[in-house]
Amino acid sequence: MGESRAETHDERSSNAGATGPKTAGRDEAAASEGRTPRRWPAFSGRRERRLEQTGSDPDPRFTFANERTFLAWNRTALALIAAGLAAAQFLKFNLHGLRLIIAVPLIVLGAALALASYLHWEDSERAMRLRQPLRYSWMPRVLTGGIAVIAACGGILAVVDRLLH
Amino acid sequence: MNRPQSQPTGGTITPPPDRDDPGLARERTALAWTRSALTMAASGVLIARAAFVGHLPVLGVVSAVAMAILSGLMWRNGQAIYRERREAWMPQRPQTTAFGLLTVATVLIAATAIAVTVAI
Repeated sequence: MGESRAETHDERSSNAGATGPKTAGRDEAAASEGRTPRRWPAFSGRRERRLEQTGSDPDPRFTFANERTFLAWNRTALALIAAGLAAAQFLKFNLHGLRLIIAVPLIVLGAALALASYLHWEDSERAMRLRQPLRYSWMPRVLTGGIAVIAACGGILAVVDRLLH
Repeated sequence: MNRPQSQPTGGTITPPPDRDDPGLARERTALAWTRSALTMAASGVLIARAAFVGHLPVLGVVSAVAMAILSGLMWRNGQAIYRERREAWMPQRPQTTAFGLLTVATVLIAATAIAVTVAI
């Protein structure tokens, strides 16, 4: 997804003056520590560093908004997984296996949206750092279409299950 | 000159929220982490229950404990964001590692959920 965007690794040093003195001390301190993530246990931060060296820091409000959007999509994914589990336990078809046709697609849709939300967050973060327009996400379309298809399947299965018995 | 005893020394006066947190972006993000932590904890309970129904008690206990720990970490992350209020105008470091871990965890949860669903 993000490969088409040019990553300007060296732009940050030329922008250092523009971002002002507010970050200098802390960033130097972080650099000497190898830039470990601040709020999470130390982990391989290579990907993090690469994103951080792209472009220049955006307005923190935008970063926070992007973070909240990612979290909202992640909660949506968890809700879909929970819905799949509920369907597996509480749907009573005469053919026991039929409920898997509802439950498994819901869970798979949740996993797909979780992955896509991360990619969308990273893509938006990179676009903001490079002062480029944000791209529209295909996730709302997939979510809407997926739920509609699964709901239609549920209706059809309920009728078929009743007719067969 | 000694300071009079009655004067508060260590106390902090809370500045108006909009000065150190414009648009309350930081507070809203902290609350979003809290919501996500609660969702994670609730999902852990659901998975554990479904696993017991599907006669997979070990998987149920393991995933419930793992998701409880993850939920605790997410809660703490929200609190940490809120506590850093005075640094609202620090550029925020991209949280690639944290978000990546959360995404991997969510996919693992989905895989566990499919296993449990088939077992029920």
